[in-house]
Amino acid sequence: MATRYGLQKWYPDFFDRFGALTVFDLLMEYIKSGRIKLDKSKITQRVAYHDPCNYGRKSEELFGHGFYEEPRWILDQCVSDWVDLYPSKGNQYCCGGGGGTLLTPYREERLYYGRRKIEQIKRTGAEMVVVPCHSCHGQIKAALEDNGMSDIPVKYLWEIVADILIVD
Amino acid sequence: MDTITSINKSEIKEKAPLRPIKSLTDMCMACGTCSAGCPLTGIEGFDPRKIVRMVLFGMDKELIESKLPWLCTMCGKCEYACPMGINIANLIRTARGMVERENVPGMIHKGVELGLKTGNNIGLPKEDFIFIIEDVGEELAGEPGFSDFKIPFDKKGANLLHTLHNKLVNTQNEDLIHWWKIFHIAKEDWTIPSQNWEGVNWGLFSGDDEAMKCFVGRIVENMEKLEITNLMYPE
Repeated sequence: MATRYGLQKWYPDFFDRFGALTVFDLLMEYIKSGRIKLDKSKITQRVAYHDPCNYGRKSEELFGHGFYEEPRWILDQCVSDWVDLYPSKGNQYCCGGGGGTLLTPYREERLYYGRRKIEQIKRTGAEMVVVPCHSCHGQIKAALEDNGMSDIPVKYLWEIVADILIVD
Repeated sequence: MDTITSINKSEIKEKAPLRPIKSLTDMCMACGTCSAGCPLTGIEGFDPRKIVRMVLFGMDKELIESKLPWLCTMCGKCEYACPMGINIANLIRTARGMVERENVPGMIHKGVELGLKTGNNIGLPKEDFIFIIEDVGEELAGEPGFSDFKIPFDKKGANLLHTLHNKLVNTQNEDLIHWWKIFHIAKEDWTIPSQNWEGVNWGLFSGDDEAMKCFVGRIVENMEKLEITNLMYPE
């Protein structure tokens, strides 16, 4: 998000000279074109999806498009039983790791902030959490551990795609 | 005649860029919708309505010297809900940018400084970076179906430029391989730059536009130098 925002602000001619793809664009292109094939039967657990603020509300504000449907389409290709947290999409709660808070010394405050995310995850009965953001990944992992729920793995969206790739 | 927009002068308010929809911080009705929506309200005295009030009262100094701007995750739920469309997260970011750099807590500014100096936020020398990446790449090549996998450093004319999050290079090497596996199976023509490979931009967090522009500019430079077709947004 920062890079895209910065390119639009300071290097607007970049978009005349180069293409730019989000993680969602790439994954969807590979799957739709058949360049990669996935074995959906490999993931049997219930998976909860968390919307990162930057791909949701922030992208909506800065780029006029929130990435809500794209990750859900990708999840449909990978997982039989995935669920949304409630509330989700534009109304989701931040995990507590945004805005560089993972880099500050305020660990206790940040983990307390994450309690709502933990409650949301608990309510779904999910056995795995999937995110498309590095900050959310770090924060949700730490918050789950802090709440005695480290048996629930946190995976990147592209990680579950890589995990179920059909390799000839 | 000058338009009087507010009784109190606040540099934060003047500097904070407005959102695409026309709105002014002065229009805050103090309704508290922002505070009701913010997951941080009540933690260590944080409250978005209070922050808007502080700005409107011209209490820049108090805000900048407090830890409040650094507790906020800039998640934007406050402004998503705000009936007046006030850019609250940008007020926070602007306040962050006005903090003396040596007083920025934790790693945010230290990472920016290291990044400006070395091309990555952990200050990793080029040869160490190449060693780590090649080592992880060789490990992947040991897996069935990936025996001809090689890391394509600085490949001129490649289709896709792939930058990296420093934490994957630093402590979470096991998470480097996911995209590499996908690229390999998809037969993607991709490359990693050996210099200025940093994918994250902590100038966004520290409120430092100059640094932010520099990091974005380096990605543009790599795209030009290596004659790349498409950039993969780092995050």
